[in-house]
Amino acid sequence: MKPAPFDFVAATSVAEAVALLGERDDARVIAGGQSLMQLLNFRTAQPGTLVDVNRIVGLDGVRRDGDFLAVGALTRHAALEAHPVAREQLPPLAEVIPYIGYAAVRHRGTIGGSFAYGAPYAELPLVAVTLGGEVIVEGAEGRRTIPIEEFFLGHLETAVGPQELVVEVRFRLPAAEAGFGFREIAPRRHDYAIASAAALVQLDSSGAVGSARIGVGSAHPTPIRVNTAEETLIGRRPDAVALAEAGQAAAAAIEPLGATEADRTYRRRVVAVMVQDALAQAIERSREAGS
Amino acid sequence: MAVQSDESTNLVGARVKRTEDGRLLTGRGQFVDDLVLPRMLEAAVLRSPHAHARIVGVDASAALAMEGVFGVLTGADIADEVEPQPVIYHVLPDQRATDTRAIATDRVRWVGQIVAAVVARDRYVAEDALAAIVVDYEPLPVVANLDAALAADAPRLYDDWPDNVVGNIEWSNGDADAAIAGADAVVARRMSVGRLLGCPLEPRGCVASWDPFTDDLDIWMSTQSPNLARDLLGETLRLPGHRIRVRVPDVGGGFGNKFDFYPEEIIASLLSKRCGRPVKLLEDRAESFVATGQSREVVIEATMAAKADGTIVALKAEVRTVCGGALGTVGVGPGWLSATMMTGVYKIPNVDVRLSPVLTNRAPMGSFRGWGQPEANFVNERLIELLAEELGIERNEMRRRNFPAPEEFPYETGVVFTYDSGQYGQCLDLCQDSVRESGWPQRLEAARAEGRSVGIGYGFHVEATAFGPSRILNLVGLNHSGFDEAVVRIDSTGRVTAFTGQVAMGQGIETALAQLTAQTMGVALQDVVVVSGDTATCPYTGYGTGASRGAAMGGASLMRATELLREKVKRIAAYQLEAAPEDLEIHNGRISVRGTPSIGVTLAEIGNAAYRRLSDFPADEDATLEERYVFDPENLAWSYGCTAALVEVDRRTGVTQVLDYVIAHDCGTVINPMIVDGQIHGGATQGIGEALYEELVYDDQGGLTTTSFADYTLPSACEVPRFTLHHMDTPAPHIPGGMKGMGEAGTIGGPAAIANAVDQALADIGVEVRAIPITPPRLLDMIETATREGGRS
Ligand SMILES: Cc1cc2nc3c(=O)[nH]c(=O)nc-3n(C[C@H](O)[C@H](O)[C@H](O)COP(=O)(O)OP(=O)(O)OC[C@H]3O[C@@H](n4cnc5c(N)ncnc54)[C@H](O)[C@@H]3O)c2cc1C
Repeated sequence: MKPAPFDFVAATSVAEAVALLGERDDARVIAGGQSLMQLLNFRTAQPGTLVDVNRIVGLDGVRRDGDFLAVGALTRHAALEAHPVAREQLPPLAEVIPYIGYAAVRHRGTIGGSFAYGAPYAELPLVAVTLGGEVIVEGAEGRRTIPIEEFFLGHLETAVGPQELVVEVRFRLPAAEAGFGFREIAPRRHDYAIASAAALVQLDSSGAVGSARIGVGSAHPTPIRVNTAEETLIGRRPDAVALAEAGQAAAAAIEPLGATEADRTYRRRVVAVMVQDALAQAIERSREAGS
Repeated sequence: MAVQSDESTNLVGARVKRTEDGRLLTGRGQFVDDLVLPRMLEAAVLRSPHAHARIVGVDASAALAMEGVFGVLTGADIADEVEPQPVIYHVLPDQRATDTRAIATDRVRWVGQIVAAVVARDRYVAEDALAAIVVDYEPLPVVANLDAALAADAPRLYDDWPDNVVGNIEWSNGDADAAIAGADAVVARRMSVGRLLGCPLEPRGCVASWDPFTDDLDIWMSTQSPNLARDLLGETLRLPGHRIRVRVPDVGGGFGNKFDFYPEEIIASLLSKRCGRPVKLLEDRAESFVATGQSREVVIEATMAAKADGTIVALKAEVRTVCGGALGTVGVGPGWLSATMMTGVYKIPNVDVRLSPVLTNRAPMGSFRGWGQPEANFVNERLIELLAEELGIERNEMRRRNFPAPEEFPYETGVVFTYDSGQYGQCLDLCQDSVRESGWPQRLEAARAEGRSVGIGYGFHVEATAFGPSRILNLVGLNHSGFDEAVVRIDSTGRVTAFTGQVAMGQGIETALAQLTAQTMGVALQDVVVVSGDTATCPYTGYGTGASRGAAMGGASLMRATELLREKVKRIAAYQLEAAPEDLEIHNGRISVRGTPSIGVTLAEIGNAAYRRLSDFPADEDATLEERYVFDPENLAWSYGCTAALVEVDRRTGVTQVLDYVIAHDCGTVINPMIVDGQIHGGATQGIGEALYEELVYDDQGGLTTTSFADYTLPSACEVPRFTLHHMDTPAPHIPGGMKGMGEAGTIGGPAAIANAVDQALADIGVEVRAIPITPPRLLDMIETATREGGRS
């Protein structure tokens, strides 16, 4: 469990980091190292150069920007969880972050790393997929903004180019009347989830579902928004039957991860349960918000 | 003289804080990886990615040419230089040998088997060089699991074997078939236990230093059995014992894994011999999943039969241990213990038990806390509950009806063992009382009223400890002994040093043995130090620190040696005080005439006289103060306990959560209740892991899919409830001091208790657990099947 040899350069500015990524063969960013270090130690990844972004001043931070909460790529999970602006503008973040690993992981791991790595189990990408958002990356040609719908391309595969740096992640702020719900199941409290679901629901004045956004994590190669599940709910009273149907629709929409058929079957089953429960929580909160 | 509180009595039984903790908890421990010798090199090994393949060739030329690489070893290099890896248990009359050497010579039989080793400037370079070694494999058909191994046309792992069966043994007593035929109720089940790995915080490792001039081998090992290791190093490397010194640094947990003897110790020694420099070879965490002895995996087909009044009349069992591609140090020992303990704590007049371990292309099996006992207990304690239900007898009443009564001890089980002592009924009462006092029945009712699925389960167990009577162990097939030697010395300042063959591995043995020695000698705890872990200076322990023998065997031998030394001290004091030795007593390091405390002499004065001022010393005594004692027990000491688990099952996800846990337990004399509590907590946690969380999963090509702590899920603090413990202390009649071991207790009783609780939680739909671990996918499948089939008929 020792990495293969590599060069190490600590960048001090975004420009320098981007330049290094362009110049060096086979360069890779290291941020919190919470995902990359395993790959290095198992020699699954053998980059020629590691470009350390930890010393770049100003790459972290949280602010409201119009309809978005903008989070600097180097912001640690724990810092985001505790940040007053985040807590006020987007309470779901502080609700979901405690599910990310354990405290040590949350103090090292970064938001940018979490999105750039593109792991299907990652909670914050699931939140972004569910609420809506965008990711800003910088490369030799300058900055570009990638809508979240176009960001996650496949298992551990994102739209970030090998010579680009993620600089900011932007979460769309939900309407005040919308309720958010989240559930996940993991073998143990701190584990990567086996299945997770997030939901954002707004009820209309009659108590029927006005709008619904449902995201599923961990079970599919990427975090995924399940429109088919959302559609089963719109205009309907959100009773147990409706929720169960939405859960089933979500389970049917995913291509479950898993090494064996048993794993895949199990994931489908629990995705349905997680979606139902996340919806129930979202609906409850939407009722509270509306009353 | 000022009246002083006596610090030398009541030490045994006291919750003394562990003296080793300050050092260990503040990072001052010295583990094998902390050891750095001058000119030391580091090694790494290359492991087979194939479960079964012929080695056609190994090309290490590119690796050897790398800067910083000092040497490469392959199977061909060592084939003539070493004996096959030792197997110390030969418990099957027709047991076949797997004779594999530390490095595979012509064929690999499991993923992870060592095919080459590199020694280099440091571990980084060594691992770079591993990547440059080219091994040409010719894959062979894989025997992936038990069924594949037993298939009529199964590929054989060893060409000269007729099949993949290691051997067979059968024990019978009475006529089980006839008794089953005549019984009022019979339950027969096929049950299985998953494959596990003991996971000490510190993986294995060693530093070997072979002196090329004298052929002395100095080796530091993270081991539980230094004496055994020395003997096995000698046998395997063909070195005489006096050339080998094994030293044990701080050990970061052992769990039995580090009792066994591994290839890396041989490899490090040979590499050191070749380069003339010390060599460190550590197993990293990723390697440990295939390199440390695995355990448990077994399929047991068992039948239990009873009369209408609940009296068990027969037990039949066929035990098939799923071994790996070669036998490890302990061979099929754990399977042997599973088979011989199938009767559990019950009187069963007619027994028929067979054992036939089978090889597969999985990593070899080794020792792990519990060592065959949890497997037997899981089956036995499930069957008795199923039988009770069949007969309509309350399950603990069923247990009570079949316990041997206290006056029936020593109790012969009919299969090899004689239980020395026990008050099983009282222990069960203690557990049930605690369950009631903790309000479980009300919690169960309340939860059910809310629609939650909660159940209570029990598991009663016996534990083989104080292992063991050497001659009997030799007779049943152990090529090693079970006694313990101890040496106690008082120095010229009157302070006591206790030398033990036992090894400290975080379990608290330094403190426990010091308590016992201090009390026996009559000195304060801080006046005793315990020295362990060095074959050159410490006494011989026949087996090692395993098999729950540390306190019982290490303690008993030390206690007897201390008593001998106490007598010598009294004779010297009697000479100086002009009193009779039998009139003397020792408290707080002072020897005085009973009833006349003003007349006395201190141990410091005796020490001074024995070493430095012989003018005050009796002429007929030898100078110095030292005694030695060898204790070889006449029997094992049988601890026992009752575990109760309160669990909740989520029917929608199959997740089982342990809500509460009670263990009532008797391990004879308790030296330090705090240490015993800690041991039980740790074992119980592993028992919960075994029941619900942990499993090494192999795929159909013999590949291990659980290769890190991300997928081999040890229970963490969040998954483990608060434990409520109750102690009984029925002294072992045949062990000086009365201690019984208890290190493995928690792992044995847990799985059955949890499985029984899960059954109860799902009784309305008739789910019956037959395999552990009860993982959520498995349980959800069972729930769905049971629900489909419309509940219990
Ligand atoms: C024990 C454990 C448990 C965990 N559990 C969870 C969990 O439950 N949920 C969860 O979401 N995560 C979990 N994680 C992962 C953790 O959240 C990581 O922090 C995160 O996935 C990656 O962030 P990082 O800063 O550590 O990135 P690194 O490990 O440094 O990098 C990860 C990848 O992202 C790239 N990268 C990093 N930053 C940038 C950037 N700014 N621009 C471009 N590329 C970049 C790297 O090149 C690398 O490919 C766990 C980690 C551990 C060790």
